[in-house]
Amino acid sequence: MLDTLASLSGGFETVLTFHNIVLIFLAGIIGTVIGALPGLGPSAGIALMLPLTFGMPHASGLCLLTGVYMGTMYGGRITSILINTPGDAPAIITALEGYPMMRKGKGGLALGISAISSFVGGFFGLAVLVFFAPVVAEYAIFLGPPEYFMLMLVGLSTIVLLAGADVFKALIVTCFGFLVSTFGSDYISGHVRFAFVPELIEGIDFVAIIIGLYGLGEVFYNLERKIVLNLGKPNFSFSDYIPGKADLKEASAPTVRGSILGTFIGILPGAGATIATFLAYALERKLSKKPETFGKGAIAGLASPEASNNAAVPGSLIPLITLGIPGSGGTAIMLGALIMFGLQPGPLLMIQSGDVVWAMIAGLILANFFLLASNVLLIPLFVNLLRLVQKHLPSIVVGLCIVGAFSLNYGTFNIWIALIFGVIGYLMRKNDYPTGPFILAVVLAPLAENYFRQSIMLAQGSWSIFVNRPVSLTLVVFMVLVVCASIISKQFLRRRRVGTE
Amino acid sequence: MTFTKLIKGALAGAVALSFAGVAQADDFPSRGIEFVAGYGPGGGHDTMLRAMAKIIQNNDLSEVPINVVNKPGGSSAVALGYLNSHKGDGHFLISATSSFITTPLTSNIGLDYTNFTPIARLGVDPELLVVNASGPYKTLDDIAKADKVLNVGGTGTGTIENIVTIKLAEALGKKLNYIPFQGDGEVVSALLSNQVDFTITNTGPVGDFIKTGRFNALAISTEKRVELFPDVPTFIEQGYDINLSLFRGVVAAGDIGDTEKAYLLKMVKAMSETKEWQENYIQPNSVVPDFLGPDEFAEYLKGMNDVYKASLTNLGIIK
Repeated sequence: MLDTLASLSGGFETVLTFHNIVLIFLAGIIGTVIGALPGLGPSAGIALMLPLTFGMPHASGLCLLTGVYMGTMYGGRITSILINTPGDAPAIITALEGYPMMRKGKGGLALGISAISSFVGGFFGLAVLVFFAPVVAEYAIFLGPPEYFMLMLVGLSTIVLLAGADVFKALIVTCFGFLVSTFGSDYISGHVRFAFVPELIEGIDFVAIIIGLYGLGEVFYNLERKIVLNLGKPNFSFSDYIPGKADLKEASAPTVRGSILGTFIGILPGAGATIATFLAYALERKLSKKPETFGKGAIAGLASPEASNNAAVPGSLIPLITLGIPGSGGTAIMLGALIMFGLQPGPLLMIQSGDVVWAMIAGLILANFFLLASNVLLIPLFVNLLRLVQKHLPSIVVGLCIVGAFSLNYGTFNIWIALIFGVIGYLMRKNDYPTGPFILAVVLAPLAENYFRQSIMLAQGSWSIFVNRPVSLTLVVFMVLVVCASIISKQFLRRRRVGTE
Repeated sequence: MTFTKLIKGALAGAVALSFAGVAQADDFPSRGIEFVAGYGPGGGHDTMLRAMAKIIQNNDLSEVPINVVNKPGGSSAVALGYLNSHKGDGHFLISATSSFITTPLTSNIGLDYTNFTPIARLGVDPELLVVNASGPYKTLDDIAKADKVLNVGGTGTGTIENIVTIKLAEALGKKLNYIPFQGDGEVVSALLSNQVDFTITNTGPVGDFIKTGRFNALAISTEKRVELFPDVPTFIEQGYDINLSLFRGVVAAGDIGDTEKAYLLKMVKAMSETKEWQENYIQPNSVVPDFLGPDEFAEYLKGMNDVYKASLTNLGIIK
């Protein structure tokens, strides 16, 4: 423990120079803006910054990249809450609760609460990274395809929670999500499915789907009716967006749960920040005493996923720096950056280049503080900016969406994808089909499919692999218990209702 | 300026003028050269081309600027289409690895390797047979004698890892259960936690684990042993005829003139001989340098196309 602290303070010594502090501050701001822009997420942000790092000392370069990575997690929530267009995939869930709060005139408060829970999540993840990185990484790799398959099943079971009133409609959109996710090449069989044009060989870009479904879909829907956002009176006072005691109390337990969940999902090489937010949301809804408030601006449903996506950032760095295994798109690009710097990622990285890695961790801790400060102070700016442009908001959102879709591959193909899903999103909203289960299916179905096939292949055809492994068995038992419990409790409630009548 | 220099200059000018109308190719390159990466920034293609561009410019190996352009999408299909739209123009160079062969084979883009002009193969990524050091298999012989069907980890189906596994199964005369994972990271985790018995993988992700003694490499897929792993015997040495590696090269558009081809080759060859290339690209990426010029590279691509075509047909991926 003392060794760790000594190494960390060594890292801070490297980082606390004027040049590095300014760099980390700017990295956070750049990350926030990139995260807020629809279409540009962590992977794109890190990739865009990569050429800038070539002339820099390694520690500064890595601080820039990780600062941008963390910044995107703060930024994604801004557009989710303000205009219902998730800036990137891990911010989808944020829109489910944040945007209803915005429409109730509590947009500033939503930004405030989510900034604080983001900070706590990031901080928790960093603490685990600092003190337990090598230990947890060694355990995390023992989770294989059977465990990941079970985890994806738990995730998919939350479709019932996201279904809303009509379960039948939820099942229809889930099937549609499964279908959409099958496009492109399947690495297990090597076959290419539904590639009508070459651009579809790698599948439909998930980010183009969410840009269309949420951003454009919302604009199309609002064209039919005049919706005026309730932005409150022009006001720059802190009380509007600094959460009060009651709000903080409501957000505290979900934030802690989200932080823990996010960190551990982040560590798993087969999962990531987006999946962490889905699971965190489902957990909160299950634990909540007022599940009916979910989807209408529940603070718990906002705080927990926001904490989890920030906690997943340090989480996903753990396997990267201890074993050289990237756990997310963003860390995969960082792996490339490490190689370009001449640092060989792998089990020797901490031994051979420990000083650089500790400087990076110290930089990330600093970045998290800067990000909290800048994100809280910038809230009035965001809210008032929105007030200024409110009349032209639809055109601005359409512009951002098209630029965002273009930037995914620097081509027009994804603009068409976004437009198609914009129309689909409009039709879904108009006819009351929930979008949550659709997105969940698009994200989780291909993972579940591939992990299932890998598991069966590993077991050479036997299904016993799902119950022979302790972690997998635990997850199976857990799911069976949850299903039984909810059936029994429903029966019990019905009987009691009959009894009282 | 002295009188002789003036004369020389005037003569050179006159000669240049007199040829200008005859062959336009002499003007090559008339503008910047574009290096096209078929994948996004930070990926293997992008990294290689950016390293090349930097070295070419630092050493003045080309008088025109080099621009690296990303044309991601469709596992290189978009970039191949782009290059094909500039047929006959030597100002474009694309990075070519296995997808240069497999994407045309598995999709209907209407192009294949013969539509382009090979310039050079820069090196290969050998495949290693790697076991967990704590496991029961210490030599290739132990694997040959194992009395159960072994699980083999590798990335994807129809990839070079998959094909090496198939060839190994044929050579050993026993069944191997190949499990495709997504990416090197998942393959390494699977071997670390003993979920698979061995893996076929390229050297980069496992190099450190071999150095620290957690993994053992039992065989390498090159013709001769490589400098990077002098103690690892080849498959061929051990009596199994497997010589298959992933290649990394550069290819220009189809139908370009001989002048363009010669210029590009000279530039790339000079680049590959610099110390910087060795230090900044070859070593950190664990690539085995193995230069082939246009004709040998074309021959090699034909051979690779046959290998992939046969294997993908056997796997039922293409008909």
